[in-house]
Amino acid sequence: MDFERIKPHLPWITLLALVVIVGIADANFLRPQNLIAMAADIVPLFIMALGMTFAIYIGGIDLSAQSVANMTTVVATIALPTYGVGTALICILAGFVLGGLSGYVTTKLFVPSFISTLAIGGIAFSTAQWLSGQRALFMDATLRDNTFGWMTGNTAGIPHEIFIGAFLVLATYFLQSRTTFGRALKAVGAGEPAAVASGLNVTRIKIMAFALSGLLAAIAGLLFSVKLSGGSPTLANGFLLPAIVAVLVGGTPLTGGVGGVINTLIGTLIVAVIRSSMLYFEIDATKQQMVFGLVLIAAIALTIDRTKLRVVK
Amino acid sequence: MYELRKVDKKFPGVHALKAIDFKIGRGEIVGLVGENGAGKSTLMKVIYGAYQPDGGDITIDGTKVRFQNPRQAMDHGIGMVFQEQSLITNLTVMENIFLGFEQQFVSFGVINWKAMSAAAKAQLAKVKLDIDPATITSSLSFAQRQLVELAKVLTLEERVDGDLVILLDEPTSVLAREEVELLFSLVRDLTSRASFIFVSHRMDEVLELSDRIYVMKDGEVVDVVGHDEADVDSIQHKMVGRDVDKEYYREQKQKPYQADAPPLVSFENVSAGTRYQNISFDLHPGEVLCLVGTEGSGREAILRTIFGLEAPSEGKVSLKGRVMSRFTAQNAVSLGVGYTPRERKVEGIVGGMNVYENMTLSQMRNYANRGGVLRISAEKDLAREWIDRLAIKTPDVYKDCGGLSGGNQQKVVLAKWRSGGSDIILLDHPTRGLDIGAKEDVYDMVREMSDDGVGIVLVADTLEEAIGLSHTIIVLKDGIAQKQFACEPGNKPSLFDLVHHMI
Repeated sequence: MDFERIKPHLPWITLLALVVIVGIADANFLRPQNLIAMAADIVPLFIMALGMTFAIYIGGIDLSAQSVANMTTVVATIALPTYGVGTALICILAGFVLGGLSGYVTTKLFVPSFISTLAIGGIAFSTAQWLSGQRALFMDATLRDNTFGWMTGNTAGIPHEIFIGAFLVLATYFLQSRTTFGRALKAVGAGEPAAVASGLNVTRIKIMAFALSGLLAAIAGLLFSVKLSGGSPTLANGFLLPAIVAVLVGGTPLTGGVGGVINTLIGTLIVAVIRSSMLYFEIDATKQQMVFGLVLIAAIALTIDRTKLRVVK
Repeated sequence: MYELRKVDKKFPGVHALKAIDFKIGRGEIVGLVGENGAGKSTLMKVIYGAYQPDGGDITIDGTKVRFQNPRQAMDHGIGMVFQEQSLITNLTVMENIFLGFEQQFVSFGVINWKAMSAAAKAQLAKVKLDIDPATITSSLSFAQRQLVELAKVLTLEERVDGDLVILLDEPTSVLAREEVELLFSLVRDLTSRASFIFVSHRMDEVLELSDRIYVMKDGEVVDVVGHDEADVDSIQHKMVGRDVDKEYYREQKQKPYQADAPPLVSFENVSAGTRYQNISFDLHPGEVLCLVGTEGSGREAILRTIFGLEAPSEGKVSLKGRVMSRFTAQNAVSLGVGYTPRERKVEGIVGGMNVYENMTLSQMRNYANRGGVLRISAEKDLAREWIDRLAIKTPDVYKDCGGLSGGNQQKVVLAKWRSGGSDIILLDHPTRGLDIGAKEDVYDMVREMSDDGVGIVLVADTLEEAIGLSHTIIVLKDGIAQKQFACEPGNKPSLFDLVHHMI
């Protein structure tokens, strides 16, 4: 059997193998409570990775996701006393607009997405610093619980974060597989020139992909902010690398066109297992990014479609 | 001395070379002919080391060799003069000639430009080209660049001890007649040291130059003819597999177009910068209008304008009576224009998407509700209907179109436009790289579309195809319409009539 045939199945095989290895090393890992807690813990990262999937699916990348999430934690904390539930809308809108802006810069001004999103990320980060006065802000506990308590509650032993994650993955899966927009995304990712020659509005589709990425990054930020009951311009730092890793190890290659949100679900679970395995193998938390950096390189090298790349710069 | 025995090469879905036997002797000039897609380029690539064969042996003077890359082939004296010129245009002539082999001029890590220049001068003398080796390549004419390419390959003379085999891939396509003569006399002179493999579409030139001619068809060598017994007709016959006659282009099915009906496409004195100037024509329902000219004569640019990919600078373009002001592909598609591009795998189908996804790509709105949710079962029904109608060879509607053969990919593209109701179809080299059967299918489809009142603008793969298929031919040269021919069956212009206005 050749590697090309196994490749689509690599993500879940990897996940299974990791679970078995960690489970053998420490049986406590496989306890349901532990698994549920691990899953709930990874949800904000998962939501960001879902958004990232759209950017990568069309062959781009969104390096602004972490900064947009950071900014959202600040915006959410500041807006909560005044706007109540409307805060969620403000956050989502802010993410959508920033993502759309990245898309506009990428498609209309022909700035490659890794630069345009990096720049927009800088703007978002700066906005967060300015709004917060460079301090960590805190939410009023009762106000938070009354408005967004449902996000972090618990039903029948299952944290609500998991429901939010499940809802979002179902919604995005529907969008990806059953709508004209999803089909257009696939066409742009797999063969942009043919999509143009079929009369698709490729520019609009790409802008929408980045806008969705921004929107989901904002939801990730909002959830994180509610969870930690506060906001700061650096609250979500350390999310970007694992989010990209989650998308790529899930099987959506940097060249786009294949994979999708279900792949990202598996990828995120792989990230979650790697992360908690560090605990069991007593690897210091400061070394996490090292591990993710290495995993990222390995994942890209294994999954990228070399026929689509003529030159790597 | 150089020999291929039972060489085989397979690509996914294509058996490109089937047990090829090929031999070239010392100082021999061997011609290689075949239609597009017959396997000529694959064979060349195997010979100069860009592809590794899946089966069979390559021997030089009886010793088995295996090249991992072109560099290794070069070390054995095998060099390639490329059709698409491989020179790097912003380097000087001498840098190009010694690209990758600068080490011989390096002392203490620095290149001795004087030595390189002198050496380059000596190489250029071999091809009788008297230019300064320090000239930037982009300032040379095409003919001069072709000679520099040859000079570059001839550096093998000094580098390699044994005999040389030099491949010439379509070396004459950009040359004028006297330049061709010069090239041929050069090649004949050089046979004292090298053998040549000469690939060309110009049959008369192959016959003139070659000692022996290999005829390829569908990945096989179907015949080898000596210089003396070769004649154009019998070779052509073997290339195609039978006589090329009127039936082939379905001329008997050509019906008059609806000249009285309002035109589908109308150009009035349209110009687009330097690409084409002052073009006027009407395309009627049922008409096949062919734009004939050399590469860059403006024919592709006109197609791109109709499809909205290139806005004209002057003049009036109307589609179905509507004067166009915004030029976008979305606009053209919504007005019923369908584009079958030359780069089928790049612009035609989306590799990685299956048959029904490709067929509905241009018309997803018809298969979705107002909220944009697709009716996938309706899409599959459509795909099944067109798979039957056009006899598309695919196991099912879920097959990735990237894995279909060229002819079936082309059918998917045509089904995409036809099923969406497009009635202005632009065909850019619709038969490029297809085998004979698939070509005939395309010709049948062209006639069927005409019967349905579709207007077709064609840029054909060969002049014969252009003449055979069209109702009207417009000959272009340097972006200017030279002459318009009406082509009723039985009263078609000859090749000569067209070529005469092209060059």
